[in-house]
Amino acid sequence: MSPRFRDGLLEGFRAFLPLSVGLIPWALVTGLTMAGAGFTPLQAMGMNVIVFAGTAQLGTLPLIAAGTPVWLIVITAFVLNLRFIIFSAAIARGFHGVPLGARWLSGHLLTDGAFATCLEKMLSHPDPHWRLGYYLGPSLWSWLLWQLFAFCGVMAAGSIPRGWSLEFMATIALIVLLVPMARVRPMLVAALVGGGLAVALRGMPLRLGVIVAIVGGIAAGFAAESWRGKDLP
Amino acid sequence: MNYDWTLWGLFILLGLATTLPRASFIVLGERAALPESLQKALRYAPAAALAAIVAPDIFVSGGELTLFSPRLAAAVAAVLAALLFRNPWLPFIAGMGVLWGLGHLIPG
Repeated sequence: MSPRFRDGLLEGFRAFLPLSVGLIPWALVTGLTMAGAGFTPLQAMGMNVIVFAGTAQLGTLPLIAAGTPVWLIVITAFVLNLRFIIFSAAIARGFHGVPLGARWLSGHLLTDGAFATCLEKMLSHPDPHWRLGYYLGPSLWSWLLWQLFAFCGVMAAGSIPRGWSLEFMATIALIVLLVPMARVRPMLVAALVGGGLAVALRGMPLRLGVIVAIVGGIAAGFAAESWRGKDLP
Repeated sequence: MNYDWTLWGLFILLGLATTLPRASFIVLGERAALPESLQKALRYAPAAALAAIVAPDIFVSGGELTLFSPRLAAAVAAVLAALLFRNPWLPFIAGMGVLWGLGHLIPG
């Protein structure tokens, strides 16, 4: 480990530490919800390690529990993580001079928190070793917290009675993610149209209505933004 | 509910579906760029997808549109808690509290 890498690692970790507390409820809820969907502890932790994506895990669990076809579950997870294409494109320049293996690892570990914490330094610091350290500090810490507290959630679920509708925790978690997004008008339009279409099209076979609703919501948000843009002088 | 070994195949597919968007440009580096209009449209994907998953959970029960239900009241409580307070636990406490409270008042 080069000293510059270690310096970056420590500095990134220190910058991210206070924010990282926010991950704990998510990890706990995700653990509880995976257990609520009927996963064994091994299956739950398998999903947590392999997928490592809170929104996609919480979003696909109701579909998995309902016996939705695999390809629809996979497309839904992909769509829920599409925002990361934008994050990935925005932060990519910071990985100039970093080896390919470390880039794949960094890609897998990309989270909203790591992106928000690291973006500025990743684009401005001249040393690739330091930058990789600064990125991996928060990212590896997030990974560790995520696994640890999801495991706590999975284990705690066993002592909670079945009649308590734990699966509704996933719905609440998705609502909490949605609320701050919907403060912006075109985003609210995308959410209303997406949600409305999903309810209206619930009768479509194979839960296809969800995919149609997502595409419709994206189109509506995009259209709302364009119209608003024209209205303003 | 019990799952067989195919669940692990699903996890691997989900891992690919979530890692490829994250790794995309970090791995490709300077060789690729995303058109701006596509970037704009993609910003709406999470909001549309979250709402499309959540809305049927709240408004549909047994295949029927249900406008008043303990789940809707619980969702409203969670939204209010998320809008009004910064405590990350509160939406869960409020939502599950309302769900359990009404569940005891209205059986079924």
